[in-house]
Amino acid sequence: MKFFEKLSQIDRRWIFLLVALAVIVPLLSRMGLPDKPGKYSLQLFEAVERIQPNSQPVLISADYSPSMMPELDPMFRAMVRHCLARKVRLIVMTLDPTGAGLAEDALRQIAPEYGAAYGRDYVFLGYKVGAAIVIMSIGENIRQAYPTDAYGTPIDSLPMMADVRNYADIPLVVDIAGSAVINSWVIFAGARYKARVGAGCTAVSSADYYPFLQSGQMVGLLNGMKGASDYEYLNQQRGYTSVPRVAGKGMDAVSIVHLLIMGFIVLGNIGYFVAKKNAQPK
Amino acid sequence: MTMSTDPWVWLAALLSLFIFSYLYKDNPLFKFAEHLFTGLSVGYLIVIYYNNIVRSYLLNPVLADHRWVLLVPFAIGLLYLFRFIPKLSHLMLIPIAITLGIWNGIALPLTIEADIIRQMQGTMINTSMFRNPWDPYTGLAVGILIAVGVICTITYFFFSREHKGALKVSAHIGIWFVMIGFGASFGYTVMARVSLLIGRLQFMFTEWIHLIK
Repeated sequence: MKFFEKLSQIDRRWIFLLVALAVIVPLLSRMGLPDKPGKYSLQLFEAVERIQPNSQPVLISADYSPSMMPELDPMFRAMVRHCLARKVRLIVMTLDPTGAGLAEDALRQIAPEYGAAYGRDYVFLGYKVGAAIVIMSIGENIRQAYPTDAYGTPIDSLPMMADVRNYADIPLVVDIAGSAVINSWVIFAGARYKARVGAGCTAVSSADYYPFLQSGQMVGLLNGMKGASDYEYLNQQRGYTSVPRVAGKGMDAVSIVHLLIMGFIVLGNIGYFVAKKNAQPK
Repeated sequence: MTMSTDPWVWLAALLSLFIFSYLYKDNPLFKFAEHLFTGLSVGYLIVIYYNNIVRSYLLNPVLADHRWVLLVPFAIGLLYLFRFIPKLSHLMLIPIAITLGIWNGIALPLTIEADIIRQMQGTMINTSMFRNPWDPYTGLAVGILIAVGVICTITYFFFSREHKGALKVSAHIGIWFVMIGFGASFGYTVMARVSLLIGRLQFMFTEWIHLIK
């Protein structure tokens, strides 16, 4: 019993060290634990698969900041690769002021991989303030929210935007976000304008969005690093890219840390009950 | 083992280590990195907001296109600043009232539809669930589980009557569902936080110290 008492008084820095090791060792050793895409990741992937090449565009809103990059940037990049590989036209925008630089950087890197031309295969609309207002403006006419793209070019002069007026011309809207803005997309684009909405979110916020899947208000959901890893896996499996997976590399570490935390929880609970029992008067 | 020769990568890696050093104990290097981050973030956002809001929505339309009417919402917005003048601070209520009124008018009906009516529909057992009753996502079994979970959880938060008899049983079942929900949220939180650590370590082992290819 002394063991559990000592364990409950352990310096928390030992726990930090163990967590660090549980991340570093799998990252360096590449354990290669089995990978199986989740149902909702697959649903979002299939929703993009069903869109005809060189027809109506997918709208991706990259609403994330650098602090969410490890989870959401691989997701965004995997979706962009999927669309450009299939010649599905792409409109990229952001409702996060720091998301513009991240999205633009990703597009600049990925577009040349598929020979995608700006204005013909993809456009970047940049950042606009006022999430809900922007989402609703797109529902009326995308030109209300974005008369020009991120570089000041009038939307009407971009060939792929010629037939795009509002959500009726956009078969899929995907919001990749680490904030509650996903709710705004579901409420304003989904409920009001009947847009088909999918999302990618940080794991910490994912529990808030599962009810939208079950009710059919979302077509699919990428959940944190696991969702990003799923999408990268599906892209590679279908031959859309051979670029090394970024989120996929981290999943071994996620699994090992989860096991470690579960061990801590079990030990902590045993220690708690032992201490409680010892504290009772005999 | 090779290391990056890019000074920006070195700077990013060292600042990451400064931040991690807090895990051992608070120290001046952590403080330096923390203050640098705060200052940079605020400076960056001021520029972004000035360019995207003040210039795009006010200065350019007013000065270049002479849309003087935009000065009216600008003046209403300025009323927020009266909070610093105690005798006139009540004027601040005008922009708050306008914002709340417009926002509630827009959001309330849609929120009721998306967050309540559609969610109630999603909770109800429907005929499509009978096609494959044991499907873990759309089957009848999971439909019943969700319906029971929702009803029991709501009864736990029903405080108008004392929890006795059937209400007590239902509330007890409800608290189990709530706890399972908290557990799932905690698991996701662990994944999210660990993902951030993984992201930083991937950067350090990929771009700074070339240990991962």
